[in-house]
Amino acid sequence: MWENRCKIVVSGVGYSKVSRMADIPLAAHALEAVKGAVADSGLEMSDIDGLATYPELPATGHAEIDGISVVSVNCMMAMLKLPNLTWHIQVGTTNIGGAVQQATNALLAGVCKYAVVWRAMHNPRGTYQNLPGAQAAGATQFTAPYGFGGPGQGMAVAYTRWLEKNNQTRDKMATLAVTQRKHTQHNPHAYFHGTPLTREDYFASRMVAHPFCLFDCDIPVQGAVAIVLTTADRGRDLKPKPAYLAGYGQRLHFETAGRIGSLSSYMEGGSSSAKLTWERSGFTPKDVDVAQIYDGFSASVIYGLESYGFCKEGEALDFIQDGRIELDGDLPLNTFGGSLGTGRIHGLWHIIEGALQASGRAGSRQVKDANVSFVGASAPIVTGTTFIFVSEPY
Amino acid sequence: MSDWSKVTRPIPVPNEWTRPFWDSAKLNVLAMQRCQSCRHFQHPPYATCVQCMSVDLKFEPVKGGGTIYAYTIMYHTGDKRFASAVPYASIVVEMDEAPGALMAGNLLEAEYTEAKVGRRVEVIFEKLNDDITLPQFRLAR
Ligand SMILES: [Zn+2]
Repeated sequence: MWENRCKIVVSGVGYSKVSRMADIPLAAHALEAVKGAVADSGLEMSDIDGLATYPELPATGHAEIDGISVVSVNCMMAMLKLPNLTWHIQVGTTNIGGAVQQATNALLAGVCKYAVVWRAMHNPRGTYQNLPGAQAAGATQFTAPYGFGGPGQGMAVAYTRWLEKNNQTRDKMATLAVTQRKHTQHNPHAYFHGTPLTREDYFASRMVAHPFCLFDCDIPVQGAVAIVLTTADRGRDLKPKPAYLAGYGQRLHFETAGRIGSLSSYMEGGSSSAKLTWERSGFTPKDVDVAQIYDGFSASVIYGLESYGFCKEGEALDFIQDGRIELDGDLPLNTFGGSLGTGRIHGLWHIIEGALQASGRAGSRQVKDANVSFVGASAPIVTGTTFIFVSEPY
Repeated sequence: MSDWSKVTRPIPVPNEWTRPFWDSAKLNVLAMQRCQSCRHFQHPPYATCVQCMSVDLKFEPVKGGGTIYAYTIMYHTGDKRFASAVPYASIVVEMDEAPGALMAGNLLEAEYTEAKVGRRVEVIFEKLNDDITLPQFRLAR
């Protein structure tokens, strides 16, 4: 087991308003979320001495403008002018989960005391995948000429592979979309709060890239979320009950850029990250009381459930049936609604929910007796990370 | 059948790793990168053999028969260059001689509903301009 388990906690969390389009720049959303997380912790901004983020804009063909389409560490430093700042980082290989892990490492190293991590996501005007130009250079020379434009198609090909290899049909995914939308109704910050979804809606929706229909894809939004991380001894003195970080992992697998449709890249990415997390925390999938698994596209959840070890390969669509992922089921899943419910904010919201469930702060969607709370943040293939939060040190 | 006649495909830009692939395609030959040490085929081309770290890599012709590893049927018209062809099948093919090396393509000369995992296909060539010819696929005959 990891010698540093339960030495770092998630304290406060914060949210901006999430909307389809916004009249204020993204930096204002990030600021709102960061201020919210600091206030939720009961801290002053001057207490914050660490900053970390992953600022990528996943849309293609749009300019990356700091403060408008991304919010970098530099942008946040300029806004906050933190008098006691001692540490900051932006990560590349592990999406936002890597920023949380780096903040954890910095706190363990003693180079900061209260770190803020945020994820801000922009929804550009016009087409999200605004594929530019008449040329396909780099890795896209083998994919773009065939119409492989956005990430949806790349995910969809692996999904057909999974479905046909395992003699499954996409109908069963309706359970995931409908159950997560039900959970969303307990999350007032989510984009789809107040908008229910029925099985009929799911089956009647337009296809995007078979086997994905509209409700298999998270909706692009503009918004931001943030968390405060600190050491366990400091966290215990703060306002909210802390969630203890029992272990984490990151994907250790990468197949050459431009390789498309490979199911093994998802499975090995996920299993390598989860293995570290199980070993470090000492838990197994059977110990988990509640799970958040990245769902930018619905199929990510089945790759997650299987590669993390919650069920066998080929069984995930059966695993999620019969009420198992309901709030009172055997494995309540994406209890905040997931990205399918909140809108596309990437994995930090999954981490927030994992922490809130562990600390008993999830309100009307709180899972009863949730002690071991698992998070798979971001799609396993490219940038996956995994976490376990617990309610008390052990 | 998907109507490809009004589609404007992005033109591949060869680089130092990939130029031999496109030079062969221009001659209607599918050549894939192969490690001369361990004989591993890989696609997309890479700087080193990702199986044994050798830098001794050459492009070798393959026969052109393969199996659909995965596919998607595209319905979304967000990419205007391809909008006139929807719904269309984008496929991923594992060539017979190169297990594990996955090549993207479209399923041409067939209804898009013919795309199925495991179905046999063969390579055909679609000339885009004087410099670039695109390997494509149809159902095996
Ligand atoms: Zn080799």
